[in-house]
Amino acid sequence: MQENYLAKWLSGELSEEELQEFKNSEEFASYQKLKDATSKLTAPEFDSEKALQRLKDEHIENAPKVITLNPFKKFLKVAAAIALLLTASFFYMSTLNEKVTTNFAERSEVLLPDNSEIFLNADSEVTYSEKNWDTKRNIDLKGEAFFKVAKGKKFTVSTDHGTVAVLGTQFNVENREGFFEVTCYEGLVSVSYNNEETKLPAGTSFLLINGKIIDSGAPSGSLPAWMNNESSFESIPLKYVFAELERQFDITVKTKNIDTNLLFTGSFNNTDLNMALKSISTPSKTSFTIDGDNVLFYAGNTQQ
Amino acid sequence: MSNVCEDHIFSKVFKTHSKTVFNYIFYKFGNEEKAHDAVQEAFVKLWQNCAKVSPEKAKSYVYTVANNLYLNVIKAEKVRLKHADSIGNDRTNESPEFLMEEKEYKEKLDNALNALPENQRTTFLLNRIDGKKYAEIAEMEGVSVKAIEKRMHLALKSLREHIDGI
Repeated sequence: MQENYLAKWLSGELSEEELQEFKNSEEFASYQKLKDATSKLTAPEFDSEKALQRLKDEHIENAPKVITLNPFKKFLKVAAAIALLLTASFFYMSTLNEKVTTNFAERSEVLLPDNSEIFLNADSEVTYSEKNWDTKRNIDLKGEAFFKVAKGKKFTVSTDHGTVAVLGTQFNVENREGFFEVTCYEGLVSVSYNNEETKLPAGTSFLLINGKIIDSGAPSGSLPAWMNNESSFESIPLKYVFAELERQFDITVKTKNIDTNLLFTGSFNNTDLNMALKSISTPSKTSFTIDGDNVLFYAGNTQQ
Repeated sequence: MSNVCEDHIFSKVFKTHSKTVFNYIFYKFGNEEKAHDAVQEAFVKLWQNCAKVSPEKAKSYVYTVANNLYLNVIKAEKVRLKHADSIGNDRTNESPEFLMEEKEYKEKLDNALNALPENQRTTFLLNRIDGKKYAEIAEMEGVSVKAIEKRMHLALKSLREHIDGI
């Protein structure tokens, strides 16, 4: 009999002769019974589906390394992201420009970091960088504003018509559609328009209407009229007068049979609409009717 | 390349081998609860190291982990196996003496199995109950096929001697 023949017998690896020899042995019956009996043995029940579910529920989804490390890592990630965001937004915010806007029939005052003052007329907007103010005193202007500039470095007002550069002075800039006027009340102002520089000493104006430089008279007083709640015009086409009227009273002006290019000299009050309308209609020999926020100007008696 | 970290591969490995891991530990220590725990521990380890263990190595990995888990830690208990009811309807007319003999034989077999050295019992039962080939058991136990054959031979011999009262 070969080595480990009992194992070979169980696995069916005995040769014919060996098997016969084994079967003839007296202990064979015992082994055969043992073989039969052990083939009927079973292990305790094991449900692999259930065990896998338990594994996933208790260990994998909540595996120790997952519960202890991950929430903290996640927290760190979130914290880092928030910190980054805050830092970024801080730097972004600090470089953002300051912006002051007025609507129709509104006024506003802006005090700049160097105590220069800006008075914003209706429907206007100034933008400047507070952070870089000390190195670059620059204002972007849309609309009209009066500047009282503190002494210091170069101060520039940029408009889509031209640039106004000043050094310690008081001046008014009106930058409307098709209309650009700079009036200097104190000091010296330099106006750059189409790469041409015009020096404006105190008491002079620079007027540009529809791209044409127009000679204009000396301004009266030491402040623009609108600062005293008046809108003043000297040989200005009527359409700009009406535009100013709309801005000051937040109304809509319509005209009928009127040449709005006719020049108008005069002024109107910015607080009393009725008076203002009369101030315009009388010298321009026109009539007007009011319907809510709408005003219609018409020539003479052509209304009906 | 397939990876044990992939859920479907891991689940497949689990379903293929978890029952054998369970039985393996049960045959060794006779403790059902510990066998369940061993399955959990072994496969959690496999999951945690899924990137390092190839699907081919996963099988021997879980046996090794399960085997090492209780090494020298727990005391072997009596292995209690079920004897599939061999007395079917066709044998209800067996004599009471025969039934008594059958019962006695089962008890003797149980005792004989528990009297076997742990490695012989585990090898023997993996073959007899789980139908594992000697080569497979050799791989699980990390020994040669010949060593498994020796264990099987000795186990059979011991069992007969124990039962026949030699």
